[in-house]
Amino acid sequence: MSRDEYSYVGKSIPRIDSRSKVTGEALFTADLKLPRMLVGKILRSPYAHAKILDVDVSKALSLKGVHAVVTGKDTAGEKWGVFRYTRDQQLLCVDKVRYVGDEVAAVAAVDEDTALEALSLIRVDYEELPGVFDCRSAIEPGAPLVHEDRPRNINVAVKIDVGDVEAGFKRSVLIREDTFAAEEDSYFMTENYAVVANPHADGSIEVWMPNASPHTKAKALSNALKLPLSQVNVRKITIGGAFGGRSDVFPAEFIACLLSLKSDRPVKLVYDREENSIATRMGHAMITTIKTGVDPDGAVLARDIVSYLDGGAYSSTGPIATSVPYLCHEQAYRLENVRFHGYRIYTNKPVRGMIRIHGRSFACGIDTQLDMIADELGIDPVAIRLRNARRPGETTPTGSYVASCGMVECIEKTAEASNFLEKREKRPPNRGIGMGINSVQTGFPLGIRGGSQAFIKFHEDGGATVVSGVVDNGQGNDQMLVQIAAEELGVALDDVRLISADTEVTPTDAGSYSMISTFGGGAAVKAAAEDARAQLFEVASEMLEADPSDLVARNRKIFVRGAPDVGIPIAKIVRKALILGRPIMGRGSFAPDVDQRREWISNPKGQLSQAFSFGATVAEVDVDPETGRVQALEVACAQDCGFAVNPMLVEGQFEGGVAMGGQGGMLGEEHRWHQGHVLNPSLLEYKIPIIKDMPAITPIIVETIDPGGPYGAKEAGMSVAMSAAQAYCNAVGNALGIYFNHYPLTPERILDAIEHKKPGIQTAWELEPARIIKSE
Amino acid sequence: MKKQLLSMTVNGEEVNLAVTPNTTLLEVLREDLGLTGVKEGCAEGVCGACTVLMDGNPVRSCLTLALEAGGADIVTVEGMATGGNLHPIQQAFIEHGAVQCGFCTPGMILASKALLDRNSDPSEDEIKTALAGNFCRCTGYRKILEAVSAASTGHTEPRRKE
Ligand code: FES
Ligand code: FES
Repeated sequence: MSRDEYSYVGKSIPRIDSRSKVTGEALFTADLKLPRMLVGKILRSPYAHAKILDVDVSKALSLKGVHAVVTGKDTAGEKWGVFRYTRDQQLLCVDKVRYVGDEVAAVAAVDEDTALEALSLIRVDYEELPGVFDCRSAIEPGAPLVHEDRPRNINVAVKIDVGDVEAGFKRSVLIREDTFAAEEDSYFMTENYAVVANPHADGSIEVWMPNASPHTKAKALSNALKLPLSQVNVRKITIGGAFGGRSDVFPAEFIACLLSLKSDRPVKLVYDREENSIATRMGHAMITTIKTGVDPDGAVLARDIVSYLDGGAYSSTGPIATSVPYLCHEQAYRLENVRFHGYRIYTNKPVRGMIRIHGRSFACGIDTQLDMIADELGIDPVAIRLRNARRPGETTPTGSYVASCGMVECIEKTAEASNFLEKREKRPPNRGIGMGINSVQTGFPLGIRGGSQAFIKFHEDGGATVVSGVVDNGQGNDQMLVQIAAEELGVALDDVRLISADTEVTPTDAGSYSMISTFGGGAAVKAAAEDARAQLFEVASEMLEADPSDLVARNRKIFVRGAPDVGIPIAKIVRKALILGRPIMGRGSFAPDVDQRREWISNPKGQLSQAFSFGATVAEVDVDPETGRVQALEVACAQDCGFAVNPMLVEGQFEGGVAMGGQGGMLGEEHRWHQGHVLNPSLLEYKIPIIKDMPAITPIIVETIDPGGPYGAKEAGMSVAMSAAQAYCNAVGNALGIYFNHYPLTPERILDAIEHKKPGIQTAWELEPARIIKSE
Repeated sequence: MKKQLLSMTVNGEEVNLAVTPNTTLLEVLREDLGLTGVKEGCAEGVCGACTVLMDGNPVRSCLTLALEAGGADIVTVEGMATGGNLHPIQQAFIEHGAVQCGFCTPGMILASKALLDRNSDPSEDEIKTALAGNFCRCTGYRKILEAVSAASTGHTEPRRKE
C-alpha cells in the first residue's frame, strides 16, 4: 500500500502522551506519593577498591524514624549479571567494594533528613586495596585484580575471524594501521533515576522505575527477591529518557524492594544527579586499533581490528557492548576478510553500559581512516564510502542477511543536500565538511524475551483497548502503537486506549534497548488488530451478506469495498458479537526471525537481527584555530528507517541524535577522572548541548520498506546519533587538515593537535596500539 | 529549625503555610502543594527543569528559598491551561512534536511564556537566548524552537505542514 492510502500510519500526528506532559499531569517515578511512604537512601563506597571488614548498623537502626536498614548480610551476596556467565555484581557488597559509589548499605526512614542522618551513623571498616584505572595498566601481568577469578582483569573477550585476512592484506595496494581512542561519555537524561517499591499483604510487590524493559526488570527482581514472577509487578510510569542508560538492572531497585519488604511500607529512593551519573551506567572509554588494506579503487580487501573497552567494575551488558561497535561496522560496510578482537576490561571505575553512540573510537576511527585512505588514493570521501557501502540482499561477515538497505541512498542524499563535494573543494579557511555512515540492529537474539505479544479488547461503544508490553522511554512508542492499532481497526485515534509496560497485565516484550519496539512490538499490535478486525469482519459479513475478504474497516465503520456509504458502525458489530457470544478479542504476536543459537562470545555467527537500519550524516563546521572552538553550521542527516510510522517523531529522533551524538558526543562530552573519582558527575561540569549550540539540521527520511517490519518499518534514531559523531569528527579534521584520533574533540585537544600538526597523512597523535592479549 | 509563615499566590490561588527557612520553593511546590509538574533535574540551578514564574519572571525554584516567594505570584505549568483550554504555547509544543520524554517540557514552556509575555514576536536568536538555560536531552531543540516561534504573534498559522 502507498503512504496516501493509510489513515494514520505514515502521518505526522501529535503524540497521545504530549497533553499530559505539557500540563504537568504526567507522573515520573520521583513524583509518586503513597500513604506511609518512606524515603530510602544508599550508603556508597568512598573507595575505588577496598575490602569490607565490618559493617555496623546498630546506631542507625536505633535512630528515631528509621524503619529499615539493609546490608550485604541481608542479601547473602545475591548477584546480578545480564548473562548467566556474567553474574558478577553483588546487589549489596559483601566482601569487597570495586568502585567509588558501590552500594554498601541502605536505610529507609520517615524523611530525607532522618535517612541521611542514619547513613552517617553506619560504620564501615574498609581495608583499602590498590586499584586499576585504565585498560592498559589493568591488563599488565601482576596488576591488582578487580575480580579475583578474572586473570588480567579481562571481563569479556570476543573474537571474530571471517575470510582470509592475511591473504586480503597481501592483495592490497595500500595498508594503514591507526589507533583511535575515546573517553567515557554519559547519558545525562534529564530525569534522575528513581525507584518506588510498594509491598502488599498478598506477598506481591509493585515497583516503578525508569526502564527500557519492564519485563526484564521484573524477571531479575523475581530471581533476586526469590518471589514468583507473577508477584513482582513493574508498573508503567513516564520515563525521562534512556539512551541506553536504563536497560540494565540496578542494585537500587533491588534495595528499594528489600527496604520496603523489611519495613512493610512503600519506599521511594530518588538519585541525585551525581548518583545518576556514577551509580547507574556510563559509556565505555575505548581504544581501537584498525588495520585496513584496500585495492587501488579504495575497496577494502582486509581489515583487522583490536579494541579495548574500559568496562568499569562489573559486566553489565559486557558481551553485547564489546561486540556491537564491530557489528554496526560490518553491517554498514561490505567486508570479505575481517578479524576482530574485542576485550572488555575491568577497572575500579563506575559500571559501563551501552549508550546511543556506543563505541565512538571504533566508529569514528573507521570513518577517519577511510578519509585518510581516500586522500592517499586521491578519491573523494563520498566515492570511497559508496564503493564500500552495504547493499540490500547481501550477507554480513558473521552471517546476517540484509533484506533491506538504503545505505547508498542515505550517502547520496546527504551529499546532495549538503552540496558536499563542492563545499569540500572550495572551503574558506578553517571551515570543514565531513561525512559519517553507520548501521544499527533492530533487535538481538534474546531467547524467550526476544518477541512481543499484544491483546485488543473492544468496548461496546466501538472503542478499543490495546494491551502491549512495549515501554516508552520518551521516544514515542505509545503513539506508534496507537497509530498502528487505529489504522488496522479502522477506528479513530481517540477511540484507542493503551495499557502498556505493566508486567502484571501486559504480555512480555523485548524492551526498547535493542531498538526493536516498532519492528517487534508494533508488529505484535498490528497482528492483534488484524485478528480483531478479522473477527469483526466475520460478524459483519453476516450482517452485510458479503464475503469477509471484501470488507474494509475505516472511519469507525465496516463496509464492502467501494461502498463506504452502506457500512455498519463498528460499535454495532461489537454489540452484535456480544449477543452472539463471539466477543471481539484480538491476539497478536511477533517472534524475530533470528538465529537463536547465535551467542555473543561462544558463537558469534548467524542471523543477528531480522532488520538493520542505515544512516549517513554530513556536518559542516567552522573551527577557531585560536581558541579551538568549533561552531557547527549545518547538518544533513539521513536514515533508512524502513518506513516512518510517524515522520515528525522520526525527525525528532534524528535531531536529538545530532545533538547527542555529534554536537555533544564529538565536541565536548567526556568524563574526567582522578583515579577512580569522576571529577564532573554533574550537569554543571559535564557539558551537554544547549539550544544555542545547535546548527541548522536537515533530516532526511529514507524508506526501504523492510519485508519483515510493520508497514516496512525498522529502527529509527540510533544510526543518526552514531553517524553524526563520525561526521562532526571528519568535519573538524577537514577544517584543519588534521586526522583526529582522540575523542571527543575538546578545544584543548584541537589546540594541541594544531600545535603539533604533522606533515602528510597521519593521525594527530601517536597512540599506543591495542594488541591481541596473548594469555587468553 | 523554626518554621516561618509563608503566603504567596500559586496559580491564582492564595496559599499560606509554615516552612523552615532552608526549604526551597521547589520543595514547597512539589511536596507541600503536590505540583509535581515542577521537575528537579540537577538541584544546582543548571538544567532549568524546575523553572517557575515568579511575578512573571522565570526563576529556578531549586535555588530559590521558599520564603523568598513571600507575597509573590507564582505560576507553575499546572497553572498554564485555563478552563480546560491549553495555553497556545502548550498547544504549539504538542503540535510541533516538541515533547519527547517531557521532563524538560514544563520548564521550557514557562521560560517560553516569560519570553512571549515580554516580547510577543521574538526573533529566533531571542528565543534561543531565552531558552539557553533549559536543557533538553531528547529533541535537539529544533522542534522546541519551531513550537515557540509558532506560538508567537508573528506566526498565527502553524509552520509545520502536514
Ligand atoms: S533542578 Fe533547578 S535548575 Fe536543575
Ligand atoms: S523532551 Fe526529554 S529532555 Fe526534553
